[in-house]
Amino acid sequence: MSLHHPTPGSARFASVPPQLEHDTSPLLVGRGPDAHLRLQLPRLSRQHLSLESYLEKGGAQLAFSLKALSHKGSVWVNRLTLSFQEQVPLGAINKVAFSGIQMVVRIEGGISLEAFVCYFHLSPSPLIHRLRPEETDERESVPQEHPPPGSGQGAPGPLSFLHSPLQPNHGGAPEIPLQREPLDGVLS
Amino acid sequence: MSSFEDADTEETVTCLQMTLYHPGHQQSGIFQSIRFFNREKRHTSEVVKFGRNSNTCHYTFQDKQVSRVQFSLQLFRKFDSSVVSFEIKNMSKKTNLIVDNRELGYLNKMDLPDRCMIRFGNYQFLVEKEDGQSLEFFEIQFFLSKRPLLQENSWLPQPMPECGSYSSCVTQNNSPMEVGENDW
Repeated sequence: MSLHHPTPGSARFASVPPQLEHDTSPLLVGRGPDAHLRLQLPRLSRQHLSLESYLEKGGAQLAFSLKALSHKGSVWVNRLTLSFQEQVPLGAINKVAFSGIQMVVRIEGGISLEAFVCYFHLSPSPLIHRLRPEETDERESVPQEHPPPGSGQGAPGPLSFLHSPLQPNHGGAPEIPLQREPLDGVLS
Repeated sequence: MSSFEDADTEETVTCLQMTLYHPGHQQSGIFQSIRFFNREKRHTSEVVKFGRNSNTCHYTFQDKQVSRVQFSLQLFRKFDSSVVSFEIKNMSKKTNLIVDNRELGYLNKMDLPDRCMIRFGNYQFLVEKEDGQSLEFFEIQFFLSKRPLLQENSWLPQPMPECGSYSSCVTQNNSPMEVGENDW
């Protein structure tokens, strides 16, 4: 997961770990103590959204859906604006915006059906291109995206996160922010 | 009178009415943890779990053949809809869940039809959704059936019977429900 907020301030992402292992229960994102991914933003709901893993019929790898949990704020996902209790399935690459936060979620398949791993990258540059004000609940304009420094590419994409210091190097394999890793045991 | 006039507008609450049947329930007490007929209020954010483990499940069955977490129900809204819907997810690695004629494997999920039959092992659950407005809370109400809910291989969604709902036809005073072969 790549995260960006246009207003500089390290505190808002202070609780974001480099990586997070999570079981098949919904992963909660929000400001509150129950959130698995805690973001320090006053306008963020205590439980703002959740990511839920499941299996498609006939599928062998975990799929994910995103659900909006905030009464007051909406969640923009891949050009859809979700309000309270609405949910959508996620694809391989997903652009999410809420409370001024931009988040790109990339999903890479793995073997385990018991748990998944999130790798987090904090981006100093905007992640979402031409997000219109009406597509955020913050009603603030977002500058056109610029490529992350040092990426050498015209627009952010999976390759732009290969060199994040927060991501472990797996011997040259592509490093994707959200990965499903085979795990030996079940996380309770 | 002024408190009535000033009070917040009441919202109706969605209610899931679940009629439970298991052939051995009277001998083995598998439903002893279930409070029948009582409408239990749940927050819409809850993932309601059914299974054997009382530490993780909201509703438990005293049966070693039931998985620790058998299945879960979760409320959601379809995109751009005001209607409250539910999703059912099979949490059991060992037992498939059958919803009407659709079989769900481990971690498979589907939208729960407004009226449907859930089956796993020898368990038969008839679920009927009573629509409501509230997005904060919903209710679950259990009924017990002493007769099988499903004639073998013959479950098809049927028009509502004359008594108003299937659940109001089943036992509330320990009297068995008579269901003819042609009633399903």
